[in-house]
Amino acid sequence: MLEIKNLTCGYTGNFFVQDINFKVNNKEIVGIIGPNGSGKTTLLRGISRTLKPKKGAVILNGEDIWQMSFKELARKMAVLPQGINPISMTVEEFVLLGRIPHLKNFQFFEDKDDLEIAEECMRLTDTLRFKDHLMTQISGGERQLVFIARALAQQPKLLLLDEPTTYLDITHQVRILDLIKRLNRELELTILMVLHDLNLASEYCRRLILLSNGRIFREGATEDVINYKIIEEVYKTVVVVEKNPVSAKPYVLLVSEDEIKTNSPERERK
Amino acid sequence: MVFRNYLNYTVVAKQSLFLGLLRRLWLLAMTQLIIFATPLFGYGYPERIISLGAAVTEELYLLGAGEHIAGNTIYCNRPEEAKKKEKVGTVININLEKIVSLKPDLVFATSLTNRQQVQKLKELKINVVEMPAERNFENICVNFLKVAESIGKYPEAEKLVNEIKAKVNSMQAKTRGLPKPKVMVQIGANPLFVATQEYFIHDFIRMAGGINIAKDALTGQYSREEVLKQNPDIILIATMGMTGEQEKIAWKKYSSINAVKNGRIYIIDSDKFCSVTPVSFVEALQEMIKILHPECKYD
Amino acid sequence: MTKRNFKWVAWIGFLFTLLLIVSIFSFFLGTVNIPAGKIGEIISKGRTDARFVILFDIRLSRILLGFAIGGALSLAGVILQGMFRNPLVEPYTLGISGGAALGVCLNIVLRMQNVFGLLSLPIFGFLGGICVITLVYALSVKQEILRMQGLLLCGVMLSFICSSLIMLIMAISRAEDLHGIVFWIMGSLDQPNWLLIKLALGMAILGLIAAYIFCFDLNAFSLGQEEARHLGINVEKSKRLLFILASLLTGFSVSIAGMIGFVGLIVPHFMRRLVGNDHRILLISSFLSGAVFLIFCDSLARTIIAPIEFPVGVITGILGGSLFIYTFTRKPC
Repeated sequence: MLEIKNLTCGYTGNFFVQDINFKVNNKEIVGIIGPNGSGKTTLLRGISRTLKPKKGAVILNGEDIWQMSFKELARKMAVLPQGINPISMTVEEFVLLGRIPHLKNFQFFEDKDDLEIAEECMRLTDTLRFKDHLMTQISGGERQLVFIARALAQQPKLLLLDEPTTYLDITHQVRILDLIKRLNRELELTILMVLHDLNLASEYCRRLILLSNGRIFREGATEDVINYKIIEEVYKTVVVVEKNPVSAKPYVLLVSEDEIKTNSPERERK
Repeated sequence: MVFRNYLNYTVVAKQSLFLGLLRRLWLLAMTQLIIFATPLFGYGYPERIISLGAAVTEELYLLGAGEHIAGNTIYCNRPEEAKKKEKVGTVININLEKIVSLKPDLVFATSLTNRQQVQKLKELKINVVEMPAERNFENICVNFLKVAESIGKYPEAEKLVNEIKAKVNSMQAKTRGLPKPKVMVQIGANPLFVATQEYFIHDFIRMAGGINIAKDALTGQYSREEVLKQNPDIILIATMGMTGEQEKIAWKKYSSINAVKNGRIYIIDSDKFCSVTPVSFVEALQEMIKILHPECKYD
Repeated sequence: MTKRNFKWVAWIGFLFTLLLIVSIFSFFLGTVNIPAGKIGEIISKGRTDARFVILFDIRLSRILLGFAIGGALSLAGVILQGMFRNPLVEPYTLGISGGAALGVCLNIVLRMQNVFGLLSLPIFGFLGGICVITLVYALSVKQEILRMQGLLLCGVMLSFICSSLIMLIMAISRAEDLHGIVFWIMGSLDQPNWLLIKLALGMAILGLIAAYIFCFDLNAFSLGQEEARHLGINVEKSKRLLFILASLLTGFSVSIAGMIGFVGLIVPHFMRRLVGNDHRILLISSFLSGAVFLIFCDSLARTIIAPIEFPVGVITGILGGSLFIYTFTRKPC
């Protein structure tokens, strides 16, 4: 589905991600993780055609994304940005914006199909009940759901998400990610998301790409990447990696410096 | 904004000028002679005239065509009858609807009339005569003749102009031999603005036997220092009302200027010296000579 | 959605009706009293009747021009406010009016009309505006990307520079020229040349049609440039074209009618409060209300202290400014 070849992109004079190479297969959920400043958002911008690459290419289903029209790209790939500014329009109007890539050249009004698709997307994200509310009137978690609904209205094959769970409480974090997992299963959507929280990444992503200083440090199955040696090396802090008793996925525990001093031998055993 | 008060037509001309009775009667007799000597109608000449300038209005009355004025500006207030005519706007901004509704045969536009509006009048198929800007006595005479020609009174006007020219020449001759005082004419305050060669009043000074210190200046924007440097013998203040008095007091502080030393600061009526017909020019010139050369006896 | 569509159609219908009413009102209102009942008689007499000339040559031309300029300026205002997401942006902020005024100033002071004819005045104005706006654009493009903040800053700065230059020219110009410049700056719908009036009408209507091509782009822009790009909008292309469109609309309006301020600022704001942010309805409703507003202001300008006329820019400024303050203090956005 998505192939990143030797991608180097960034901000002139400042920071660059370099020589990025990886693939995302159909129907996969892949997570991008890494410490602050490692280039996660930069990479995502390079992939979503926001930043022009210095070197390399981004291939979506065999086509270079920079060679296709913006509309075409928007029909294949939807992007959820980090941080959401409330806008004063209703939820339904907002979701309908997602139909823009599908509107024909001189079509000024959404037709019945567009309206039905929008409604379906809202139903899938459980946002239909406040379709006439203003975006400014709903909570942060609900707003995030609406954003997903809009992305779905684009009917993409690939969904890019930039830290979809930051600023949300645990209820909404799980809700959003459960929804994404469901969409991946039911709609066969491929997901590539940047995640801050290592445990969420571990729980929901089958594959992970760990970035450090603008390069890929490790890439592969979650169990292989979330390993205390690797995490300590990249994040430069002491951690303990356990297995989640319910899902058997790796699970990162933080250790404060006081505890380290008193519990060192315990750690050595793991 | 420069206070160009000489363009402010709201000042009613004060008849502060006192002329010798003989001279006045003489001039009056000449003009009346002209009026009664010529019939006014019957040549296909305009019968409904609109004047967009105070000077033109006065000149029309001079030529005896006063009753044919269908409309004038709100600033046309000489002679008294002119005030009663229909008003079509200010000198700068005219009301086109009013003009059209008055059905004029001829409209006299001045150099201050909004060009776009003049163009519009022409598009509406109204006969417009544009008077070029007047900066000196020669212009005034030429324009006067132009007005006269448009209403079919050229020969009479020509005669009047020739007489006036003779008069003016003789007045000039009287002052020829006399030493020329340096004159500064202030026409604006805050900032200080001095009349340069472009303004009417320059011609008055020249003909009355004086030298305008701003004769060759590019712009009338003067600093008080510049005036001090040039040291005029006479200061004329042509601003209005209170400002005139205030400026006079302000100048008195600069005791190094000749004009201040000799107490020769005068406030003059700007209207009189700016909106002139050939006839009023003579009157105004007389006043100017009196100010510049009080020693000159003229009867 | 038909409920919304119905609301939109109702708004358009209402505004059209309002436009008709204001136009008829303005048609029969003026210094010279012409009763509406006599219209049949006047038309039959044709040009021979002075009232015919007043109605159809003077008043009608002002109403048509008011429609075109009011519509064009409001449209430019909507486009720019949509692009910049800044409520204080109006067509004159970017420096076009400064450039146009400078062009007109030079034309008057250098007596170009004597050499090139009366049409040279609006042409100089237009060229002046275009020169400045091109400079502003060139200074704001970095690495092929048009930076919106740069545009705004450059525009404001160049406006200041133009104003200073104009003041310099005014300080050394003659009295007649000065009056000409000042009155042009104050704006007037008194255009003698029917060609220019037709040009203005054509430009306004074509501009409206062209703007509609970008109605979705403008809707997307309200989310920010990056978001708009993700929705499939070619942001750079749209920015450029919209910028050119707004500049042309403003440039034409300013050269033909002088500086009539506030129309492009207040009308889009007002309409946004009434009809919402969707540009599909906002574009046409701003256009129509701008036309209504300007025609109304012009009627006031003509009749308040007849026979003297206020420059229409004065009325739009006072009325527009007051309305602006009222809307903003009532419901903070």
